[in-house]
Amino acid sequence: MNLNQPERLELLAATYTLGVLRHRARTRFERLCVSSTSARIATQLWEDRLLPLALELPMVAPSTALWPRIQQRIAAGRDQIGVPADLDQRRRGRRWWQVAAAASVIAISLLVGKLTIWHEPAWQAFAVLAQAHAAPSWRVERSADTASIYIHTIASITLEASKDYELWVLPRVGQPVSLGLLPRSGNLQRKLTTEQRRMLLTALQVAVSVEPAGGSPTGLPTGPVIVVAPIVRMT
Amino acid sequence: MAATVDSNELEDLLHRCAAHDSAALQSLYARAAPQLLGILVRLLGSRAVAEDVLQDAFIRIWQQAGQFDRIKGRAMSWMVAIARNRAIDVQRATRPTVLLDAAELAGAEQLQVVGPADSVEFSSAGDALRRCLGLLATAQRQCLLLAYQRGFAQEKIAQSIGKPLGTVKSWVRRGLQTLKTCLET
Repeated sequence: MNLNQPERLELLAATYTLGVLRHRARTRFERLCVSSTSARIATQLWEDRLLPLALELPMVAPSTALWPRIQQRIAAGRDQIGVPADLDQRRRGRRWWQVAAAASVIAISLLVGKLTIWHEPAWQAFAVLAQAHAAPSWRVERSADTASIYIHTIASITLEASKDYELWVLPRVGQPVSLGLLPRSGNLQRKLTTEQRRMLLTALQVAVSVEPAGGSPTGLPTGPVIVVAPIVRMT
Repeated sequence: MAATVDSNELEDLLHRCAAHDSAALQSLYARAAPQLLGILVRLLGSRAVAEDVLQDAFIRIWQQAGQFDRIKGRAMSWMVAIARNRAIDVQRATRPTVLLDAAELAGAEQLQVVGPADSVEFSSAGDALRRCLGLLATAQRQCLLLAYQRGFAQEKIAQSIGKPLGTVKSWVRRGLQTLKTCLET
């Protein structure tokens, strides 16, 4: 299907919202929505258009036991927020990475939110950074509220002292925006600015460049870009 | 059970949820859960399954509240989409083909409001949508309602109304196009 034709995209968004796309087509369209602003906007318009059909259905009171169950699950999730080094959370990360390694994802690997399909952890990886033909160096996670990132150094980093690796988010239009320096070892949690957060929600890729120690002096990448990795977002 | 669906209030609650205000989630639940559960029960045909899906939906609403953008869409649309998408996934994975009897088919044609949606904004949008649905042939309208409100795949719709799949697909496509044109004028 040629999605450059607006009417095609419109029909896909409409049938997706209506709920009649087959499973594989639904999945493909959801992936398209990750990368296509037009697809997301078309879908949101159809969600608004058809909403009255949902709201006219009779309301049903939930059982009294439901809210406490939701509270319990949220309380469990919140325990992880702000404690990214939580052992269970790290174990989850390792389990994911073992799966990814087994799948021979070498150059640039993605962490797909659906791997954890429904019991999503408070932190979700959205990119793995690796130079071509090399093992991954960092895994980058995002908090469930998208306000912070957590960078996990996977392999030891060798780089001369006068240099640093800097992480960038690459918007579809416009200049890269720095997400700060990457650690040489260990893990690092960083609060995002409003601009960084907005960029990360809409961008498709992140990149790593080699910069002078302390980071780019210009606010834009100045050294060689050694990694470009796609962003996989939470659905 | 009376509940006022106020778009601005829901948006504010979502933004508070994004800041990890669990009291806001409780308020959101009090206001939206009955509406969402009504939608899910109709889609899934089982209160127990619908409550499980509603639980999942509220966890996701809590976790993703920071991604809600009031500029891009309305709060209720956003929450309904989360709940419906989860329900459709569950339904496709578990639900056997269900054929409708004549009474249910007749029900699928009904356009009158049967539940309280008492925001002026939503009522106005509902009036416009009902007016546009009224322009469709009965069979087209039936297809759209069975798909959206009952969560029927096109194959199930074809079986239920005894029409070829190709015909149903064509009705759905043309029905959606007609709706869009009508709603934009």
